[in-house]
Formats: sequence, C-alpha cells, structure tokens
Amino acid sequence: MPRRLAALLVAVLVWGGVSEAPAQGQKVKLGVLRLTSSAVLFVGAEKGYFKEFGIEPEFVFFEAAQPIAVAIASGDLEVGATGLTAGLYNIVAGGVPIWIVADKGREWPDHNLTALVVRKDLYDAGVRTLRDLKGKKIGVTQIGSTFHYNVGRLLEKEGMAPGEVELVPLQSLGAVADALTAKRLDAVATAEPFVSRLETSGVGVTLIRTGDSLPWQIAVMLYADRFARDRARAVAFMKGYVKASRHYFDSVVKRRAGPEYDEIVAITATYTGARPELIRRGFPYQDRDGRLMPGDIGRQTAWWFAQGLVKAPIPDRDIVDESFLREALKGMP
Amino acid sequence: MSTRIPAPDRTRALERRDHPALRVAALVALLVLWELLTRTGRIPALFLPSPLGVINAGVEMARSGELATHVATSLRRIALGFGLGALGGVSVGLVTGFWSVAEAVGNPLIAATFPIPKIALLPLLILWLGIGEASKVAVIMLGVFFPMAINTHTGVRTADPLLIRAAASFGAGRVSLVRKVLLPSALPMIFAGLKLGAGTALLLLVAAEMIAANAGIGFLILHAQNLMETTKLMVGIVLLSLLGVASHWLLVRLERAALPWKTP
Amino acid sequence: MRVVAERVSKTYADRLGQPVEALRDVSLAVDAEEFVALLGPSGCGKSTFLNIVAGLLRPSAGDVFLEGALRPAQSATAMVFQEFALLPWRTVQANVEFGLEELGVCARERVARARDYIALTGLAGFEAKYPHQLSGGMRQRVGIARALAVDPAVLLMDEPFSALDAQTRQLMQEELLLIWERTRKTILYVTHNIQEAVYLADRVVVLSRRPGRVLATVPVELDRPRVEALLGTPEFAAAVERIWSLIKGEARRALEEAQ
Repeated sequence: MPRRLAALLVAVLVWGGVSEAPAQGQKVKLGVLRLTSSAVLFVGAEKGYFKEFGIEPEFVFFEAAQPIAVAIASGDLEVGATGLTAGLYNIVAGGVPIWIVADKGREWPDHNLTALVVRKDLYDAGVRTLRDLKGKKIGVTQIGSTFHYNVGRLLEKEGMAPGEVELVPLQSLGAVADALTAKRLDAVATAEPFVSRLETSGVGVTLIRTGDSLPWQIAVMLYADRFARDRARAVAFMKGYVKASRHYFDSVVKRRAGPEYDEIVAITATYTGARPELIRRGFPYQDRDGRLMPGDIGRQTAWWFAQGLVKAPIPDRDIVDESFLREALKGMP
Repeated sequence: MSTRIPAPDRTRALERRDHPALRVAALVALLVLWELLTRTGRIPALFLPSPLGVINAGVEMARSGELATHVATSLRRIALGFGLGALGGVSVGLVTGFWSVAEAVGNPLIAATFPIPKIALLPLLILWLGIGEASKVAVIMLGVFFPMAINTHTGVRTADPLLIRAAASFGAGRVSLVRKVLLPSALPMIFAGLKLGAGTALLLLVAAEMIAANAGIGFLILHAQNLMETTKLMVGIVLLSLLGVASHWLLVRLERAALPWKTP
Repeated sequence: MRVVAERVSKTYADRLGQPVEALRDVSLAVDAEEFVALLGPSGCGKSTFLNIVAGLLRPSAGDVFLEGALRPAQSATAMVFQEFALLPWRTVQANVEFGLEELGVCARERVARARDYIALTGLAGFEAKYPHQLSGGMRQRVGIARALAVDPAVLLMDEPFSALDAQTRQLMQEELLLIWERTRKTILYVTHNIQEAVYLADRVVVLSRRPGRVLATVPVELDRPRVEALLGTPEFAAAVERIWSLIKGEARRALEEAQ
C-alpha cells in the first residue's frame, strides 16, 4: 500500500510538474553570426535559460549580418541576432514587417567593438583626428553597413559633411584590412579582431574607438512577424533571453574576470572555434535587462533616411516592439 | 486497274513552322502573369518587384541622371578594358600565329595562364594596381585578352594553305601574307573571340565593380542588394542584360560590315 | 620566254617521315609561245613539277631556268589553281588586282589592267561580286584573269578545269584557246585528261607514275584554231589513241597497285 501510494505520488508530481512548466522543448529557429558577439545566446542555450521556459533554440549560423535580416523577413528564421544596417531598415520600409525586440550589443565606452584605424605613416605624419582625414579614402565593408553608420555619425559629430571623406566599399573586413596594408586606403572602419591585428602588425593606429565617442545600438534581437504573433512562445523566449542577458552582464560586462567569465569564454569557444584571447577582446556591452537604448532606433532610421539610403521614414511603432521584453521582465525580480 | 492516286505527300513530317506571334505572346504573358502575381500582394515587392515597378524605378533613375552615371562609368571601363584586351590579344595571336619563335615562347605562357579564372586575380590586381580604375580595367582586359589571343592564333594557323601558296605564287612577301591573307582569314575567328570576350567582359565588369566602386552597373546591383532595394537591383540586372544584348547586336553588325563575303 | 628543266628530281618526306620520290630526272623545255601539256596519272608528280617551276617548291636535284627577257611590271610566272584559290574576302576586281599589287603597279594602272582582263575573260559586270557568289566556271575565269593580269612570261595551269562539270569544262577549254591565240603566252598545262591535252596543246609531255619520269614527248599535229568539231574527227581520235597506248600499261599497273 505505501508503495502504491508512493508510486501515485510520484506520478502526480511528475504529471503536475509537466503540466505546470510551459510546453517542453518548443523549438525556435535562431539565426546568429558565428562570432563572439553572439555569446549571450550561446550562454542562454548552454546554461539552460531558454529550456527553463520551454524553449529549445535551434541555431542557424550565418557569415554576414544582412542575410539574417532577410531570412527573418522571409520567415525562414523566427528569431535573429544581428547588426542594424540600412538594408534591414529598407526591408521594413519595403512593407515586410520585422520586429526589433531587445538589445543585443551596443557601441559603449570602454568596450572596443569597432574602431576607426588610420594608416601608421599618416598617424606618424600627424593625423590625429577625423578632421585630419579630410579628402582621404576610408575603407568600409559596404555602403549602408554599421561601419558606414560609424563613419557617417562620427563625421557628423565633428561637424563635417559626409562628402568630406571618400568611403570605399570593399565588401569584407578582410579585404578592407588588406587594402590598408597595401596602402590603397588611408583609414578603415573595422572591427575586432582586425583592429588588434592591424595594430600589432604595425599597419595602423586606432584613431577612434567608436564606443568611446559614439555609443549606439549596433545590434539587436529580431522577431519575425509570425513569431511575434505567437505571443506565448515569443514571451517565453524573451524570458530565457533576459536571464541569459543578466548572467552575461554580471559575468562579462561587470566583472570581466572570474570562473563564470571563464566559463562563458569556454562556451563561446566551443560555438565559434575562436581562440580564447580573441574572445576576451570581443565581448560587446549590452543592457543587463536587454533594454534598447532609448530613442536610438529612431535616430538611426532618421539618419539613414536623411542620407537617402533608406527610402522612407520609419516610425518606431512600425519596427520596435519592446512589449515582449516588458512582459518577460514583469515576472522577474 | 487504272486507278489514279495522288503522289504521296510526306512534307508534314518535314515541316517545322515558325510561330513569331507565339514567341512574343509567351514573353508578354510571362510579364503580365508576373505583374498580376505581384499585384495580388501575396508576394511582397521586396522579394519580387513588379515589372512595372522596375520600369518606373528605371525611368526615375534615368530622370535623376543616376542611370546615366552608372551606365557611362561601366561603358568607359568596358570600352577601355575590352579595347585594350582585344588589341593586345589580336596582336599576340597574329605574331604567335605567323612567327614560329613567338609561338614557341608565347603558347606555353598562354596555355599556363589562360585557365586562371580572372575573377580570382581581382584581389591581386587590386593590391598591385590599387582600388581605382586601373584594376577594374585590367581585369576586364585580361578576360578579353585570352580568348582573343587564342582565337586569333587559331584563325591564323588554320588559314587555308592553298591561299597562302596562291598569294606566294604572285610574289607576296611575309608582310603582304599577314596583311592580305592571314589577317582576313583569321577575322571570323577574331569576331567569334570578340563575342566570347564581350560576355566575359560583362561578367568581370560586375565582379570588378562590386569591390571599391562608387558607380557602375555592378556597383548599382551590389549597392541595391546591400540596401535591400530589390527594385533597383532588378533595374541593374535588366541593364546588364540589355548591355549584353546590345553588345552582341553591335558585334554582329560589325561582323557583317567587316566580313561582307560571309553573308550571302 | 622559254622554260628549261634539267634533270629535276624531287624527294620529300611523307607524314611518317618516309622518303617519297615524286620526280626523277625530269628534263623538258617549253618554247616561247608554245602550249605544252604535262600529262600523267594521278600522283605522278606533275603538280610537284609545276610548283617547282612556280618557285613554290625547291627541287632536290636539277635546275629550272627561264630564258628570255622580262618586260617591266611583268611577272615571270603566274599560276592558275585547280581549286581556284581566290581570296574569298576580295571582290572579283580586287582578286584580279592582287598580283598587280605584289608587282608594285600603281593603283590607277591596276584598276585599268584588271578591267581589261576581266573583260577578256568574260567577267564584265561581275567586278563587285565575291567568289562565293559565282559559279565554278566563273571563279576559274577570275583565276585566269588574275594570272593573266600580271602579264606572266610563262602561264602555269594546274588542272584548272578538273573541278568543273563536263559542259563548263568544254566551254572553258575553247575560251582558253581563244585567249591564248590573242595573248600568245607560253603555257605549261598540267592535266590527267588525254583528250584535254590533245585538244589544247602543241606538244604533250607524258609522265610515268611515281616517281615521275618523262615517258615520251608527243607533238600534236592538229590544225589551229581548234574548235569543238575537232573532237569528232578521226585525226583527233588517232592522236588520243597514240598517247593512250603509251600510258595504258602504266595506268593498269597503278590501278592494280591501288587494289
């Protein structure tokens, strides 16, 4: 009898446990770059933060940022973590809805994500500010890229017009670095690990760390429109994301050392295959609760529109939706 | 038993009619279907722009002068690269075709370097010649040079030996032979090479303009892709195909003018 | 102008590098204004001999001399080819002018001389046509006009009519005779056709099969001008028969060897 009772109890407990937790193992297709900047999502998966809310992230790896936005737009992905480009905004301006739902990385003081690197011989000849680069060639990956935005906004801050430097699009960060090495460019807007590589090889000197001079919302979490309509799953995913985000912030952004920091480095290494010392250099800053920089998306769309590279103005309500985040945060301490 | 039957008519099996109206209709139907499909709104214009949308965008770009800039820039690069490549290729082909020393030196070099995909040389050319016009023109030039050199060489080498003997029997010297027999003999092959080279030139133009360019049709396409402006992307693609059709038409015209003995 | 060949031999290497003896000790002379036919079975080296006279081949042994004085702007030899060998990218006019260009004749005279020979060969009105627009007979007229235009001291003809159909060939032969009567060129005419040789020539030089040697030199004692009616006469038949009897054995052996 006690044995039967015990068995019943176990059954009830198990049954209750299952029914109480959100539906187990709901797969979510998640597009990410195989880079250190995706660390927070790797942490969420490995530490079980998503699983806690019944979400099983299914990673789809991409080599460039824009295809993630395209895959979100086409519905091939449900969630994406990617950089904000003019192309992404044009998808929305073109009438295909995608939603910016949370912070996924900011240019932030004391966090070197991207930088403007000037050629060593020019630096030695006295080039110290953006103003000294007037009329020079600056390499970027693409027109409309985050690097283009960096240079454009930095020029604006200096009170310079966009035409006062020549932007040269070379498609890839590797090609940009090569062109600077071959002295075909005067400066480049690039990211880690190329910044360190150019500096250690004596090719270039960092002129401006973007984060120090121009904090902005460079990367975000995206929801596909259909996923956003699946409210329960969308909120469940966000709960996991917030937990992952807090863990990431506390271990990496705030402390910058310790066993948990090392664990995140190790997790990231298994996902990206990158060397630990490179990973340590590439952790971006992001908000502890995943909140977006207030007003920054509007600032970006307005700037691209003013440049003529986004074809229509985009009101925030057509592209930003923080309601998932707010709902997720409600139930958290 | 003196019945009369008509001689059997077996032409039906041999008949193959041309349907010019149907050809046009098929093309128009495709465009109309495409337009209707995009009008239903089921497929967002972002993924499949409508034909009319593409035309409108093209007209808009033509009006603003954007189109002219891109086309003029591309045409200049093509003209320079194609011209230099063709000139160099024909000269080398003639010299190696006629002069055995040049053939012994030149042919192994050409055979060794010809199979290199010219697109693969682009990054190298950029390092050597810079990100300006020189590297773009050079890659087109290389792409045109090889088919021209090889075709001209073949054209010269396959010149009818009877004609060469006939010319020699009237006392024609080496210069005369090259000018009056070998070069005209090679002309059909040269034109075949030019048509081949024109296709290659367009391909390489697009590749070259996708790196470090600020204008040109290749830039337009890549730029539109980066900015997710699919309609402009289609304008670029249509421009490219028009350029391809136009260059072919021009070469066929030129060929007819240069080879009047080939047309009946 | 007289052509004299002294013990001309020619040996060349075939595609496998094996030596092939084409001509052995061929000696013959063509007198000024004489029409000589060089007759022989296929592959007897008669075309090789003609090419040696034209300077397109070097003999392995022996010499060929041209005796007599050349006028200015006159070519020593000119050749008419079996396959016409016209430049397809040149009009009739330009083809006929080709040899004159190489002689260095000035443009105005070239045009005039070409026009004369175009008229002589019955091509008037076809000056602007390209070879591919002409029939075989018309093309060979261009070939003859081109050769005559350089006023050659010796006219070399390599089976010029064998690519034409029988009717056209007959007409062209008659025309050639008319032209020859008017120009009195020294002609060395290669053929494998006995009737043609007898009909056209003053003398027929018969070559053996390879290696080609002179089997016999047969004078043709038929009156000139010769016209088509001659072909049906017993005299003509007798002349043909005489040469045929000379080479019948050769021809049969060649046939047997081929089998």
